[in-house]
Amino acid sequence: MSDQTRKYHQYLNQGELWLQYCLNCKKYIFYPRSHCPVCWQSELEWRKSQGKGRVYSYSIIYAQSMTDHEVPYIYSLVTLEEGVRLATHIVECDPKEVYVDMPVEMAIRKIGEQLMPVFKPAAPV
Amino acid sequence: MTKKPALITGISELAPQKNPAGQRTLALLAQAARLAIEDAALQKRDIDGLLVTPPSEDSAFMWPAQVAEYLGLAPAFLNMVELGGASAAGAVARAAMLVERGICENCLCLSGGVWDSQVFNTLQGKMSVMSQAEIDYELPYLPMGFNTGYALIARRHMQLYGTTPEQMAKIAVDQRFNALQNPLALFNQAPLTIEEVLQSPLITDPLHLLEIVRPCSGAAAAVVSRSKSEANTHTAVSVLGWGEACTHNSIVYAPEITISPVKQSARRAFAMAGLKPADIELLSLYDCYPITVIITLEDAGFCAKGEGGCFVADNDLTYRGDFPCNTHGGQLSMGQASFAGGMSHIIEVVRQLRGEAGERQVARNRLAFVNGNGGVMSTESSLILGRAEDE
Repeated sequence: MSDQTRKYHQYLNQGELWLQYCLNCKKYIFYPRSHCPVCWQSELEWRKSQGKGRVYSYSIIYAQSMTDHEVPYIYSLVTLEEGVRLATHIVECDPKEVYVDMPVEMAIRKIGEQLMPVFKPAAPV
Repeated sequence: MTKKPALITGISELAPQKNPAGQRTLALLAQAARLAIEDAALQKRDIDGLLVTPPSEDSAFMWPAQVAEYLGLAPAFLNMVELGGASAAGAVARAAMLVERGICENCLCLSGGVWDSQVFNTLQGKMSVMSQAEIDYELPYLPMGFNTGYALIARRHMQLYGTTPEQMAKIAVDQRFNALQNPLALFNQAPLTIEEVLQSPLITDPLHLLEIVRPCSGAAAAVVSRSKSEANTHTAVSVLGWGEACTHNSIVYAPEITISPVKQSARRAFAMAGLKPADIELLSLYDCYPITVIITLEDAGFCAKGEGGCFVADNDLTYRGDFPCNTHGGQLSMGQASFAGGMSHIIEVVRQLRGEAGERQVARNRLAFVNGNGGVMSTESSLILGRAEDE
């Protein structure tokens, strides 16, 4: 595991999602790494995510053989307000209710052995 | 085109096999190599270049040398081409460069391997085809491998452009019609209907079982040459243009998942050939899933962005149709024989351009567009091939 991935998990274990921010480009990047993929500078600062975003796309998975995780589950790409996209699950949501562009907010859940960020439908404002 | 383009002078393709028992990758490659040089009317000593796609079970370390040793070749140029499913098209493009630059006379492009689902369906097997970033940031969420990546593309394409399940299923149906005339195809026994596709189980929504390629074992080869041997009675096929592009590895980080690097690879291929999509008479598009074909048609310029679904519904993609595409059945009906799945599209086009496609021969067979696609629309390699007599 890289130093950056270890750091990512340290924050998750504290119940928070933190992202790298490139001080040169003034933009967030994901996934965490040693150098900004845009400018190749290494001045990357960890900043706490607000944990809000929208569903970019999704797939309801009906069959998987790797673990005993319950099916179906909603695998999704979520675009965060910080501008980065990540793979995740949509939870606490009927598979019939999920849609592209749905507003979501982060929760941290144990999947397998790890605490990982997942997303649930955003509470109405 | 000013200089003489490289020629595809020999081809071979083994029948894809579901059962991997007793097969070895090197043995499959040796069989495909022998048949390809026979087809080109060449001797082994005529082969001075070797481009090989990655092994599926053997160690990849020094793979080109492993293959050269097994085949008893001492090539002047050897390399492994690793572009996922685009590897075979990428190999033919590289071979064309080597031949046109005068580095090789006859370059053997070799693709294939043993595919054992027992091995590749395990966690270890899945991890062997993932980057560390995918293992760290995607695998914990249990995607169903490549299937889920393409499902995400399909879902977003449906949302943005109104593409329907029926339109996607129609690709599998037309291709099955083609496969019924292909004795090598894994699924050539019975026709398929749109209803049957849509009634097959949803695996990773919106993908149904019958829209997902079946990995299997097999091998295929192409010989790319500076000139055709006098003893070779087949029509030679020219590599008129090629282009390559990559915008991401994991689909999570694609700039926009419904737009593929085919946009650049096809544009480069057409520019090199001095041709445009309207000139093309025959297509052979990497089809791990129907959505791959739809996105490729759009991004290569055969229809406008977002209209791929309507385009496949309105056109007949069979060998008898107005827009023949994947006349061998595509990988969906042919089977995806390891990395030879991508080579299969090239082999079929060579058969068609030669006029050797038998029952499924198309009437207009001068110019063809081939697309190889790797990862989740990550790497693309486009080829424009033409009948050499028409030069």
